[in-house]
Amino acid sequence: MSNGLLPSRQLIGVTRFHWQQLLGPIVVVIAVSYLTSGVSASFSYLTEGALALLVMVLSLQVFIGNSGVLSFGQAAFAMVGGFASGLLTAPVKIKENVLDGLWEPLKAVNMGIWPSLVIAVLVGALFAFVTGLLLMRLSGLAAGIATFALLMVADNVFFNWKLIGPGPQVMPQVPKFAFVDESIVLTVIVIIVVYFFGISRRGRLLRATREDALAARALGASVWHLRVLFFTVSGGIAALSGAMYAHHAGAVTARDFYLGFTFTTLAMLIIGGASSLWGAVVGTILVTAIGQVLLVLEGGVTFGSVEVTLPNGARGLVIAAALVVILIWRPKGVTGGKEFNLPFLNRKSAAAHDSHVQRTDANMNIKP
Amino acid sequence: MTQMLEAVSIVKSFGAIRVLEDVTVTVRKGEIVGLLGPNGAGKTTLLNIMAGYETQNSGTVSIDGGCIDSLPPEARTKAGLARTFQSGRLFPELSVTENVVLGAIGAGASIKVANRRALDALEMLGLTAVMMQPATGLSHGLSRLVGLARALTANPEYLIMDEPAAGLNNHETPALLAALESIQRESGCGMLLIEHNVGLVADACSRVFVLASGELLFEGPPEDALADEAVLSAYLGDATMGLPGGIA
Ligand SMILES: Nc1ncnc2c1ncn2[C@@H]1O[C@H](COP(=O)(O)OP(=O)(O)OP(=O)(O)O)[C@@H](O)[C@H]1O
Ligand SMILES: [Mg+2]
Repeated sequence: MSNGLLPSRQLIGVTRFHWQQLLGPIVVVIAVSYLTSGVSASFSYLTEGALALLVMVLSLQVFIGNSGVLSFGQAAFAMVGGFASGLLTAPVKIKENVLDGLWEPLKAVNMGIWPSLVIAVLVGALFAFVTGLLLMRLSGLAAGIATFALLMVADNVFFNWKLIGPGPQVMPQVPKFAFVDESIVLTVIVIIVVYFFGISRRGRLLRATREDALAARALGASVWHLRVLFFTVSGGIAALSGAMYAHHAGAVTARDFYLGFTFTTLAMLIIGGASSLWGAVVGTILVTAIGQVLLVLEGGVTFGSVEVTLPNGARGLVIAAALVVILIWRPKGVTGGKEFNLPFLNRKSAAAHDSHVQRTDANMNIKP
Repeated sequence: MTQMLEAVSIVKSFGAIRVLEDVTVTVRKGEIVGLLGPNGAGKTTLLNIMAGYETQNSGTVSIDGGCIDSLPPEARTKAGLARTFQSGRLFPELSVTENVVLGAIGAGASIKVANRRALDALEMLGLTAVMMQPATGLSHGLSRLVGLARALTANPEYLIMDEPAAGLNNHETPALLAALESIQRESGCGMLLIEHNVGLVADACSRVFVLASGELLFEGPPEDALADEAVLSAYLGDATMGLPGGIA
C-alpha cells in the first residue's frame, strides 16, 4: 500500500486549542468596545446594548452553528433571563407599588446585579433544558416551527401573566450597570465558554451530526443528547443576554425580546457566518455599525450641498436586504464561517514547511 | 459462553416485499466472517438491522448474549459494535484525518488519543498519502477505506463492513485483507465482511455466509462455498464470482 511522506506525528490530526481563534475575537471585542464607548456617553450606552446583543448572537451560535438546527426560540430564554434578573434586583418598594399582581416572594426578594445574573443564567438554562428535551427530537423545518412556537408561548405568558412579571407593562427601576466594563467582562466570559464548547469533543461530534446525522450516530454520537446539551448552554447564555439588556436599559418588557430582537440577532449571526464564533462577533459589529450609520441618515445629513434623508424604517430594510444578499451569494457569511486566523501570527513550530499540517490545524474548528 | 455477535432468525419485509427470510448470522470474537451474495440479496439490509438502522419484523440481534434490539445505533456503537457504510458516508466538510479522528472521539477518547489512533488506522490502511485531503474529492473506493479507518479508531469489539473492497484493484484488495487480518490478530475484533465476490475474500475468512434473495444458502468454510451447488446457481451468469482478484 502507498505511503506518503509523514510530517512529525505530533503535528498531525486536530488541534485541541488554537489561541488565535480565541484571543482574536476577544481582543477585537475589547478594542472596539473601548474605542466606541470612548467617543461619548451615548456611544458608551450604545456599546453596552450592542454587547448584550453580541451575547445573544453567541448564544445562537453555540446552538445553531454547531447543530445546524435553526432555532427561532432562543429569545424566549432571553425573556426569562431579563425578567428573572430584573425582578430580583428591582427595589422592593417599586415592585409593591407598580407590580401589584406579582407573586409575594418575588416582591420581597432583592439582591445585587451579579448574583441575579447567576440566577438568571441558571433559570434560563433550566428552561432550555426542559423545553429542549422535547424540541430536540425534531429536525429541520419542524424544529424551526416548534422553536418559533416556543417564542410565541413565552411571549404570551410573559405578556399576560402578572404573577411572574409586569405583564404588558414595563418593569421600571431595574438597576443599571455602572460602567461599560461589566458588559465587556461578561461578553469575554461568554466568548470563552462558547469557544471551548465548540472545540470540545461533544462540539465536534455535534458538528458531525450536522453534516451527516446517520454517519455520526454510527460513531456513537447521540444526536438528541448533544442537541439538548448545547440547547441548554445556549439557553443559559441567552438568559444572560436578556439580563444584560435589562441592566443596560434599566427597564424590561416582554416585547423587548420578541420578533424584532429575534430577527436582528439571527441576521447578525447569518451575516457574520453562523458556523464560527468569529462570524458571530463580526456579524454583530457589522450590523450594529450599519444600523447606526443608517440611523444617522434617517435623521438627515448634509454632504456639501446635498442633503440626504432616508425614510424611517430604512434601517430594517437594509439589514433585511443584506441578509438576503448574504444568503444567496455568501451563505457561509462574510467570514465564510471561518474562525479568526491571521496566518503571519501562526507559531513558527508549525514550521510546518508542511503547509498541509497547518491546513488541518486550522480546519477542524473552522468548518461550518 | 462464547463471545459473539449474533443475528438470529431475522425476518424483514419492506411493505409486501420480503427481503430477509429467517436469516441467522454469527460472528465470534476474533474471527473474520464473510457475508456474501449477489446484488439485492439483502446484505446491506441485514447489516442495517444489526447496527440498529432498520428494525426487523422478527428475530433478535445480540452481543455476547445480551439482546441489543432496543438500542439505537449510537448505543450499539457504544456497546462495541461499529459499522461502515457501502457509500462511505464521510463528513464532506472535513479532511480525511478529521473524519477518522471523529471515530475515536465518538468512542470517548480524548483528542490527543484520538489523533494517535487516527494516525495508526490511516497508516494501517495505507491512507497516509490522502490524509490531508478533503473528504469530498475521494474516489468511492478510498471513501470506503477512510470510513473503515474511522470505524476502526473506535476500537470496536465487532466490526461490520459493507463492501469495503468494492472499487479497489487487484493490489489494493489483498492489502486491505492483510490489514484486516492484522487488526483482528492484534485487537481480537470480530469482523463481518460484506462482499459481492466470493473468491475475493475466501482467503481472509474463516467462515462465510451466502445470502441470495433474502435466504441463507450456505454457511461454512469459504472453499466449500465455491463448490456448493446452491451457491453456484445463485451466482449463475456472474462470471466474477469465483475469480480471486476479479472486479466485482
Ligand atoms: N428502504 C427500502 N425499501 C424498500 N426496499 C428496499 C429498501 N432497502 C432495500 N430494499 C430492497 O431490499 C433488497 C435487498 O437490498 P440490500 O440493499 O440489502 O441488498 P444488498 O445485498 O446489499 O445488495 P448490493 O450488493 O447491491 O449492495 C433489494 O431488493 C432492495 O431493493
Ligand atoms: Mg448492499
